[in-house]
Amino acid sequence: MNEPEVFIRLDDDGRPYAPGTTLSGEYRLDGVDSANVQAVEVSVLWHSEGKGDEDLAVHEFWRKDAEALGDPRRPERFSTTLPQSPLSYEGQIVKIHWCVRARVIFKRGRDLVAQKVFRLGNVPPARPPVAVKPEENIGVIP
Amino acid sequence: MASVGEAIFFAVMLVVGVVGIVIGIARLVVPEWRANHTFAEHTCTIVEGRVVEVQGEKGVLYRPEIKIEYEVEGVTYSPSTFDVHHTPLGSRDEAQAVVDRFPNGATCPCWYDPADPSIAVLVRGYQWWIWPALLVPVSFIAIGLGGLVYTALYWGKSVERRAAAARQVSAAELFDLAAAADPRFPCIPSCSEITSSPGTRLAYRLPLVESPGWTLFGLLAASIAWNGAVSVFVIMAVRSVLRGSPDWLMMLFIVPFLGVGVALVAVFARHLRHTAGIGPTLLEISDHPLLPGRNYRLFMSQSGNLTLKSVAIWLICEEEAVFRQGTNARTETREVVRQAVFSASDAVIRPSEALEAECDLFVPADAMHSFRASHNQIQWKLVVCSEVVGWQSFQRSFPLVVRPTGGSDTSTEARP
Repeated sequence: MNEPEVFIRLDDDGRPYAPGTTLSGEYRLDGVDSANVQAVEVSVLWHSEGKGDEDLAVHEFWRKDAEALGDPRRPERFSTTLPQSPLSYEGQIVKIHWCVRARVIFKRGRDLVAQKVFRLGNVPPARPPVAVKPEENIGVIP
Repeated sequence: MASVGEAIFFAVMLVVGVVGIVIGIARLVVPEWRANHTFAEHTCTIVEGRVVEVQGEKGVLYRPEIKIEYEVEGVTYSPSTFDVHHTPLGSRDEAQAVVDRFPNGATCPCWYDPADPSIAVLVRGYQWWIWPALLVPVSFIAIGLGGLVYTALYWGKSVERRAAAARQVSAAELFDLAAAADPRFPCIPSCSEITSSPGTRLAYRLPLVESPGWTLFGLLAASIAWNGAVSVFVIMAVRSVLRGSPDWLMMLFIVPFLGVGVALVAVFARHLRHTAGIGPTLLEISDHPLLPGRNYRLFMSQSGNLTLKSVAIWLICEEEAVFRQGTNARTETREVVRQAVFSASDAVIRPSEALEAECDLFVPADAMHSFRASHNQIQWKLVVCSEVVGWQSFQRSFPLVVRPTGGSDTSTEARP
């Protein structure tokens, strides 16, 4: 049998998603012995990265216990309406990443986790600020 | 997932707490209750009284011991006793005063244990210190029990499943009213604090990040507390001089502490002078929350009695990250947007004539929105920086909330 793997595919892969639009796709397990699977969890979530401790929040969560699992090789579809915030962000010390994460929980052994990153919104990466000198006078005292 | 280690840790805490509370009740509460409720009243003769030294945790303590004699059902008992706990006292004089209350040969009431007549007390009552002492094992039980419930709830659950459960009611929303933001915009702080105060020229008057009054109050409290503590040592040092035997070591020891006290008073005095002389800075804005790519009107008013070398308003976006380093939580901030909104120079402000100015505020079209999570934040603010002739320069910050475009009902137009 092959090494167990999880494949996640997004319908609009590679394109940034606008807030409020639908994210859909499918996941498929390969090389997984269904008799050893306790559950499969799929989440649409954001998590932070950078200098600070990690923050994580789940926007959508699906769980299928062993009894509800059919043939694991058959693709399973998922779909959700994305929220207005937080948008994906590449800051200097704070980064926000969105992803679809699939976790296979086995009856014995460690979980198998795979994730597909996507962008929510289109905020460009932050750069260190270039301060405009106040002497350039934007306003005047009446 | 919740670990076996966590479960063992909390179980040990619970066991220690339960053992502690059982011992505490058995050795402190029950004997006291029995002495007050089930001991039989009797009379005894005082044989002799003495003060016994016992070694306590913080040095020698003194226990009054009164040897008494009484007869129960034909049997004579002569224990040394006082109260049911054999409580030691802090000084020999206190203990001696207790002993002196029971002169040798006197007859006085006593209470003996019917189950064991050799046990008797001369005084009854309740001691208040027992109940705070029991709080220690109770806190162990609370932590252990709480931790075990937490571990049981999250046992075998993935981080995503726990997060999905937590999103139903976030702790931040439960305890922090300001965090109870618009549910359409997760992780964006509430605007209610900012829009709660209407302006006189424009729609909203922006609140200050930190009121100078609170800084003043904090400095005053710190000055009083520090100098109050130091003054005890100063008085001791002065007394030693007046006695004619100056304690030079103590005087040397308190000099740096005295220096810090004087510095605190000086900082407080400088802040007081600043706050009184500079006067309030008011900022009003035409709409709120802000949207990227939109233009807003801003009104500034600075009162006081001073001459400004320069004044500038900056729109600033800061990232803030909180991280654990060892046992400490550290915070790091990084500026990612600094945009000049207004600047001017050489302005004279009189008490009857505030400096007033109006200008445009443009939010960059590609700006990231405000964001607040437990450990990471993105904060927008307006900062008024002023350089004052003959004074120290100052700055005042006003928080803003920037929302992503879409889903807002603002009517402010985009910049052409």
